[in-house]
Order: sequence, then structure tokens, then C-alpha cells
Amino acid sequence: MASFVPTSADTLEDQRLYTRARLTEVACLDCLACVGVKKNSEHHTSVQWDDEAKRHCPEMSRRDRLDGRAVTPACPRLVASIEAAARDGRIPIGAEDGY
Amino acid sequence: MSDVRTLDQGHAPERFARGWHCLGLASTFADRKPHAIEAFGTKLVVWADTQGELNVLDGYCRHMGGDLTQGSVKGDEIACPFHDWRWGGDGKCKTIPYARRVPLRARTQRYETAIVNDQLLVWHDTEGSKADHDILPPQLPGLDEGLYTDWQWSSEHIEGSHCRELIDNVVDMAHFYYVHFAFPTSFRNVFEGHIATQFMESKGRPDKTEGYGDAELFLKSEATYYGPSYMINWLDTDYKGFNTEVILVNCHIPTGPDSFLLQYGITVKKPEGLDDKTTDFIATKYAEMFGSGFLQDVHIWKNKVPVQNPLLCEEDGPVYQLRRWYEQFYVDQAEVKGEMVDRFEFEVDTTKANEYWQDEVAENLRLKAEEDAASESAAESAGAEGEPSLMSGT
Repeated sequence: MASFVPTSADTLEDQRLYTRARLTEVACLDCLACVGVKKNSEHHTSVQWDDEAKRHCPEMSRRDRLDGRAVTPACPRLVASIEAAARDGRIPIGAEDGY
Repeated sequence: MSDVRTLDQGHAPERFARGWHCLGLASTFADRKPHAIEAFGTKLVVWADTQGELNVLDGYCRHMGGDLTQGSVKGDEIACPFHDWRWGGDGKCKTIPYARRVPLRARTQRYETAIVNDQLLVWHDTEGSKADHDILPPQLPGLDEGLYTDWQWSSEHIEGSHCRELIDNVVDMAHFYYVHFAFPTSFRNVFEGHIATQFMESKGRPDKTEGYGDAELFLKSEATYYGPSYMINWLDTDYKGFNTEVILVNCHIPTGPDSFLLQYGITVKKPEGLDDKTTDFIATKYAEMFGSGFLQDVHIWKNKVPVQNPLLCEEDGPVYQLRRWYEQFYVDQAEVKGEMVDRFEFEVDTTKANEYWQDEVAENLRLKAEEDAASESAAESAGAEGEPSLMSGT
């Protein structure tokens, strides 16, 4: 059953652009996790995980939800891997009309 | 095709979100009287039984539609004012005093309950699933141990907006400057499973605190939605070197297709060496500030239109990903897709925005100084010190 229903086909294309376009695969240098990364600028980073990547990442599977705050912070090894990929020019940096 | 951008206002969902919803402080329902709560397109009745357990049923009697919230509590049951049918917290009719027996089918809609952080939560799911206690919001450590002040609780009816407008704030970096008068210097999001978090660091805008040149208020905020409607916001505040740990609960109950009841509670960790009265005063001050902050949002919501296709710039947060996460609560459990619950991390680059904003504020301060100088003779009125602008993750 549909929920928030767009009335224009262009909206579906927008959803695709903003959530899936320009994701570059980055493999973690320490484990088998592989994620989708987008960088609109040096500082901006978007990281899309999937189930398989999460299963491979020891950081994600080891950390259980403690201290009541529940959210798992970024994996430092993956962050380092993304930074290395960006340094090596393997992740295009820059936004395409905002997405 | 025209190159003019059009707004797709879309259609709001027909159902209400699946998940835990907070009805308010549990203590407000403890008086053995029926309480009415507008929720999920109907009215609920809440009452305490003889053991003090809180029960929640649909507010309308399945006999002839009488309003149970205007009935009375008799023993453990809620009695209908129309014909005195007695309904138990398990949803079954227990007695019809004037009848030989109760019809077997006399069973009404009940809502499973939980008490978390002194608040009454109910499980709602159009599919009628059993409540999932594994995804309840966490009990705050130290609350039961008396380390925090009592909750200061407020609510606000919002008409003409779907509650997704409130959720959108999780990713809306720039509105903290324009609507809430703070500079967000760092802004990150993580969505995963039923949880969505915003991490923000900010400081107050000096140009928006009347007659108060250099309000130095720094804020470290971590705000997490546990499911569709219950957010806990941990706020480490530093005001002129005085640190306070504030916890804000921001929750809502959808009441209709475009209306909801916004509720928020504030508690403050009691600083060592301060008496309860002073601590309560601090909590009241923060509650007032957050209250006025929500009203700033409400004003925007009341006048805006819904938009399914927001147009974003590079400095905006991940609106589309947040809405994809939020969608999981509006589809059947079997229809929840991996992408709605997969982990997603985002960090906004706030550099450009803050460069521009610092310049703008500096200019505002310069203009204000000029004005002040011009009207110096008239400005001798004893004004109270302005409150610093302070914003939560909402």
C-alpha cells in the first residue's frame, strides 16, 4: 500500500537522483565491507551501506546498542578508507546541480 | 517540457504510522478518571485500574457508540455513560449490569502500553500486529534514581500539517539559522533500522538576542528518533562556561490526515551543589526557550505547502534519504524494503554557509550599533537581559 504518493513522474526521478545517483563504490581497507560514497565537497560525505556491508564490518556487528543512545557512530576504519580513496582521486568531488 | 520547477504536493498517506506513540506523562492518567486523547483519527480512553495499571481503549463503546471518555471508572473497568457496559483493559466487555450475559463478540480495540521515562506509550499498527517491545525508546539512565528534575511537559495542537513536516527537521541544517537563530557549525545524520539521528554543534546568533551583544552559548546536540514519533534529544549546553545537561523529549501523536498533537518534555540533570529550586528554575528557563523554538517551527508549517519533490542545494541535508527511512512506518511490515532500513551516514559541509552567515550577522550587528547610537538618548529603559537563542535538534 502506497503512503506518500507523488503525483508526478519527475518526482520519482528526483528520488533516484538524490538517493542513488553518483554513488562510488568504496571497499574498506580492513574488511570486506563495500559501501556507496558520494562527496559534494571535500568535507561533505554521504555513505550508503547495505546489509552485506554491515555484516562484513566487525565494528558494526561488534558494537551493541549501549548507553541508551542506540546510534552506532561511524566506523573509523571505513572513514579512513574513504579518506584514502578521496585522496587518491577515486571519488569524484563536487555536486551536480545540488545532488 | 517546461524548465519551470513545479511543486509536487502529492497525497498524504491514508494510514497512521506503525510504532510506539507517547500519550503524555503517566502521572496525568493516574487519578482513576477517564481521560480522552485524540489519536489515529479517533479518540482514545485512558484510565488507571485498581492496581494503578494504565489501560487504553478506543474511546467509543461497541454497543451504541457511547463516549467512554465521559463515562466513569468502576473497579478495574471503564463504564459507558450510555448503558453502563463495562470494558476491561484487555478490550473485552466484562459485564453488562442489566443483561443476562455478555455477547461473545464484545471485544473492542485495545492499545498495548508501556511506561518509559515516566511516560505512557502505546503501540499502533493498522495491521494489528503485536507490540514490539524490542524497539521501545530507551529508559534514560539516572531518571529513576532522581538525578534529573521532574519533567516539564507541554503540548501544542497543530492543524493543517502532516507530522512529516516535524520529522523533516532532522536533516534541515539551514533552518536552524533562519528559524531558530543559531549557527550550526557541525551537522551529521545517521539512519539505521528504526532509528534516525541528528548530531549538531551550534552557537547562538549574537544579532538575535535583543540588547545583548555577545551571548556565548554553545550547544552539542544528539537527537534520535526511536521509531516514527518519539525523539530523545541530549543537549550539552555551555552558557558562559556554565555547563548543563538537558534532555528534551519531542514526540507527537497523529490525530488526523493533516493534524497532530506535538508534545515535548524537558528535564535537566541536577548540577552538584545546586538546590532543587535553582535547578527547577534552570529547567523552566530551558522549557520556555524550547517552547518558543517549536512555535517558530509551527509558524512555518502553518503557512507552507507539502512538497514531495524538494529541490536541494549542496548545503542541504539528506531529505530524500530521511523520508525513505520514514516510509517504513507507513507500509505493511512485509513491504518494508532494505533501502528504508539500511544504514546511511551523511555529513553536511557547513563551511560555506557559516562564512556567509557570519558576514550577515556582522552586518546586522553593525546596522544595529548605528541605530543604537542614533537613538541613544531614548534608550535608557531598563530592559531585562535578553535570553540567548538556543535550539534543539528539532
